[in-house]
Amino acid sequence: MPSVRSTEITETQMVLEVTTQAVAMAGIDRHDIGFTVSGSCDYLAGQTFAFVQTIEAIGAWPPISESHVEMDGAWAMYEGYTRLQEGDIDVVLVYCHGRSSPGKPEQIYPLQLDPYHLAPLGLDPWSLAALQARSLLDSGKATERDFAEIVARNRANAVGNEYAQVSGKFDVDALLAEPYVREPLRRHDLPPVSDSAAAVVLAAGDKAASLVDRPAWITGIDHRIDIHQPGMRDLTVSPSTVLAAEGAGLGSGPVQVAELSAPFSPQEVILRDALGLGDDVEVNLSGGALAANPVMVTGLVRVIEAARQVTEQGRDRVLAHATGGQALQQNLVCILEGSRA
Amino acid sequence: MSPDAKTDAAKEGPRIMPFPVALHYESPAAPAVTRYAEALLDGKIIGQKCTGDCGLIYVPPKDLCPIDVIKLSIDDDVVLGDTGTVVNFTVVTPVQYPGQEETEPFARVSVALDGPGGMLQLQEVLDTPVSDVRVGMRVAAVWRPEAERNTEDLAAGGWSSTDGGIEGWMPTGEPDGDVAALQGKGY
Repeated sequence: MPSVRSTEITETQMVLEVTTQAVAMAGIDRHDIGFTVSGSCDYLAGQTFAFVQTIEAIGAWPPISESHVEMDGAWAMYEGYTRLQEGDIDVVLVYCHGRSSPGKPEQIYPLQLDPYHLAPLGLDPWSLAALQARSLLDSGKATERDFAEIVARNRANAVGNEYAQVSGKFDVDALLAEPYVREPLRRHDLPPVSDSAAAVVLAAGDKAASLVDRPAWITGIDHRIDIHQPGMRDLTVSPSTVLAAEGAGLGSGPVQVAELSAPFSPQEVILRDALGLGDDVEVNLSGGALAANPVMVTGLVRVIEAARQVTEQGRDRVLAHATGGQALQQNLVCILEGSRA
Repeated sequence: MSPDAKTDAAKEGPRIMPFPVALHYESPAAPAVTRYAEALLDGKIIGQKCTGDCGLIYVPPKDLCPIDVIKLSIDDDVVLGDTGTVVNFTVVTPVQYPGQEETEPFARVSVALDGPGGMLQLQEVLDTPVSDVRVGMRVAAVWRPEAERNTEDLAAGGWSSTDGGIEGWMPTGEPDGDVAALQGKGY
């Protein structure tokens, strides 16, 4: 569903909306679903076991087989994809939801960090992203103008995307004239605060082919994680993205489009590098995470937007990337193709 | 670390660092919650009747039916009774965690409401020894005086769905209700 600054309805209502739509779009009956898996984070909702309430949106009576990950929906999709490999069921429903509006990022996200040395410093995500940006500038791999150009391109791509929250044509020099919020980052280098939900129906083999004319086939998917302590990492590179891409089989052919989860503009530089994406690859035609950043949903939205490039725009091979943790600590890469591998 | 230092450390046990955390959240109450809270301030319990096959009544309203997986709306809201029958209960022996206010075992009951239906959970029974609480007991809501009602705790996602409106439930002294007849009517 469209990302917004703040929703009034409950996450359960949001999940009912997107799962109903996904089920209808896939042309399946709810009884065809053999497994349901979701992604969300109770820390965003501010309530223990908050995610359990969304069971009320997915027809869980009679009881169903379901699972949950305290992660972005892309990882829920990974679990759903893995479940399908067992071969005994052929349809999986994946959903995710996140409202960033109720909480304060500067209170919540430091709790992800080392509780002894880092969390008490109140290292908020903007400051950490700024440290990453500074490292990137110092390394000579990017300039502030590069960051502004990334913002301008993503926001321009988002124009016309009904699901995007921030879009428009922005002049790069005008962006560069804006004041810093966390030097060297300006407000537009940061993601918007977003509430949203998303759902995807996965179908295996012949079932998928029977449901739609042109499915987007997952031909590779992998995820890896870097060291937890940001001070022990070189923040200008993303080894876990490199490994995840290898595991997903990126190297076996070119991709035409890539949807990258880069909520901070400098991260797009790091990810393009890690994935070896040349100028011929179109990046974030949806507007990416700078256009809408519903945490816990952003990654699955990248998969959806990449899949749409296959199903609606006739692309043959595309890439979707999701991230979690701080400053690109954990990364998932998924390759989608128009023909079954 | 030297072998001696390791032994000393083992004797000392792990070092413990207190890490108090406070997180602040603010969120608008969903439309269904707002309608329910306003009714409570007005001295009414409202539920929502499913328009699908299940025919269940949900209290508080959620603007959806979990069984039929459909949206519900304000059109499906219904005023419920404020007397009923205890259909389930738990006696909680309080653990003294930081912030715990209870010291003695206490009961929380599920009340199947008279009238159109609906079942309220985690309700308090007033002026009644825990040993007297039983399935079948007939109870009636004790409302706070109108001027004293407030729904702040309710909006904060508290455990009890009648906080700030209803103080609790008093046994009516009537003969016990027919619980078997209430099977399958609660959610």
